[in-house]
Amino acid sequence: MRIEKCYFCSKSVYPGHGSAFVRNDAKVFRFCTSKCHKNFKMKRNPRKVRWTKAFRKAAGKEMTIVRIDVSFATVNPSQLLVCLQDSTIDFEKRRNVPVRYDRDLVQTTIKAMKRIAEIKQRREHAFWKNRMVASREKLRAHRKKTAAKNTSVQLVEPITGQPSRELIKEKIKLSSKSRSALIPGEGRSMGMDLD
Amino acid sequence: MGRLRRSRTHKAQRDVHRAGRTRARTKDLDQIQLIDLDPKNRVKLEAQPLDFEKPGLAQHYCVECAKYCESDAALQSHRKSKVHKRRFRALKEPAYTIEESERAAGLGKEGKRPTTVLVEQDLAMA
Repeated sequence: MRIEKCYFCSKSVYPGHGSAFVRNDAKVFRFCTSKCHKNFKMKRNPRKVRWTKAFRKAAGKEMTIVRIDVSFATVNPSQLLVCLQDSTIDFEKRRNVPVRYDRDLVQTTIKAMKRIAEIKQRREHAFWKNRMVASREKLRAHRKKTAAKNTSVQLVEPITGQPSRELIKEKIKLSSKSRSALIPGEGRSMGMDLD
Repeated sequence: MGRLRRSRTHKAQRDVHRAGRTRARTKDLDQIQLIDLDPKNRVKLEAQPLDFEKPGLAQHYCVECAKYCESDAALQSHRKSKVHKRRFRALKEPAYTIEESERAAGLGKEGKRPTTVLVEQDLAMA
């Protein structure tokens, strides 16, 4: 039994779920839902679709494997955090050679899985918090900027005194010829002729 | 929240369903980028033997768009077109592959060296 990953959203695809597309070069594309399959058919790039894992990783919204040269003079705490997070991310692997069953190994693995999930969750929370600090500052600056730009209250000075000039009606003389263009010509009327 | 998507995302692509049929499938970006754009393969694709099944006897092929043109003039005008330029731009950035989708899911590969490498440098050097 193998749990595959969705090509589009990187969600887990359990046996009996989702669908697959096999390209003519024998590459298998797995999809968790028809939504992902449809998006694939539309030839969308998952890196540019906001709800996918690939987008979140590419946009720095989640922990990723980042290789940085750590020189302790220049490193800042957030970078170090990212660098140290690798061990929990690396835990899940595609194993092409089956491991021989061993009762003790299974027990220790299950224990380790729980512990690693715990650590991962905590690190993810720390990462999220760190990210939100930056975004909060950004939001605050943005609000300040927009508040200065468009003030909702606009004060209008009331009109005082009378308008200086009254409107004078002027009569325009029309010549009798140009009065109407709808004059029936030569004695013929516009109506229907009846015998 | 405000608008998440930028405007003008619709690119006047008509008849998507017909173009999306499996038999009408063209090469994907990753196939072109990783295989066809390799100079060795490119030369081969641009100088194909006469093929009576293909448009223009397979003599005028655009490697970036995986497209056969009828004549050299058509190929030249295609290279100047917006469609080709859009494709050219899309091929500049690394294409999305199955491996990337697995990496995004946090699925590593066995046998690869661990990514956790804390390079410790001498403080005197730094």
